[in-house]
Amino acid sequence: MDVTIKTEGNKHFVTLNGRLDTTNIQQFTEDIAPLMSGEIANIEIDCSGMSYTSSQGLRSFLTLQKSAESRGGSVVMTKMQPNVKQVFDITGFSNIFKII
Amino acid sequence: MDAKTFGNEKSMRFNPIKDKAAEIIEWFLSNIEGNVSDDVLFKVNLAVEEAVQNVVDYAYENGLGFLEASVKFTDQGVLVIKIIDGGVKFNPLDASDPDITLSATDRAIGGLGIFLCKKLMDKVSYSYENGCNILVMEKTIK
Repeated sequence: MDVTIKTEGNKHFVTLNGRLDTTNIQQFTEDIAPLMSGEIANIEIDCSGMSYTSSQGLRSFLTLQKSAESRGGSVVMTKMQPNVKQVFDITGFSNIFKII
Repeated sequence: MDAKTFGNEKSMRFNPIKDKAAEIIEWFLSNIEGNVSDDVLFKVNLAVEEAVQNVVDYAYENGLGFLEASVKFTDQGVLVIKIIDGGVKFNPLDASDPDITLSATDRAIGGLGIFLCKKLMDKVSYSYENGCNILVMEKTIK
């Protein structure tokens, strides 16, 4: 899973590429750690390149959303692939994140 | 590892399983890929990952124990996945489903793995026999 983070104004823009699974969840957690603190709590994640996520990935996204909301912001996810969107729908995560 | 084949059933015994989740999942996928659609493969991949990860993380203290994996395609077009371990007796199906209507603030971290297995597969069953946890997951593939 490749993670790129750009910050413009008061928003972090994150781009994900690849699979998020047991082989790379630890690295992913480290990669997004900078988003878990600081004044900027609005986060937009481009999911167009994310082809898979396990529940470990969902756990990381939820932790990120909790962190963002506690700082007055939120996580928005864009261009999610249908299979991944289905996982978000099944688990109720579609109600937790704004998905556009 | 010890590989066996009976009819169209393939099985592999992994021991020990500490840090072997990725290897075990890969074994399952290598025996399933090519026989199912991409959509089914995505769902089965996720269910297998969740079930295997549970055993690797929780069945044994320090992950020092075995996991026996098997894959079978029935004549009726059903993919049958079996995961056996000799760890602590644990029925993952006893856990209540998460409340998926809660907000981020109220949602607990975790508890989604087996829930996903149940939702993505057609049938998930558990039994405890001869000191072993046996989880069987089925998916109709045609």
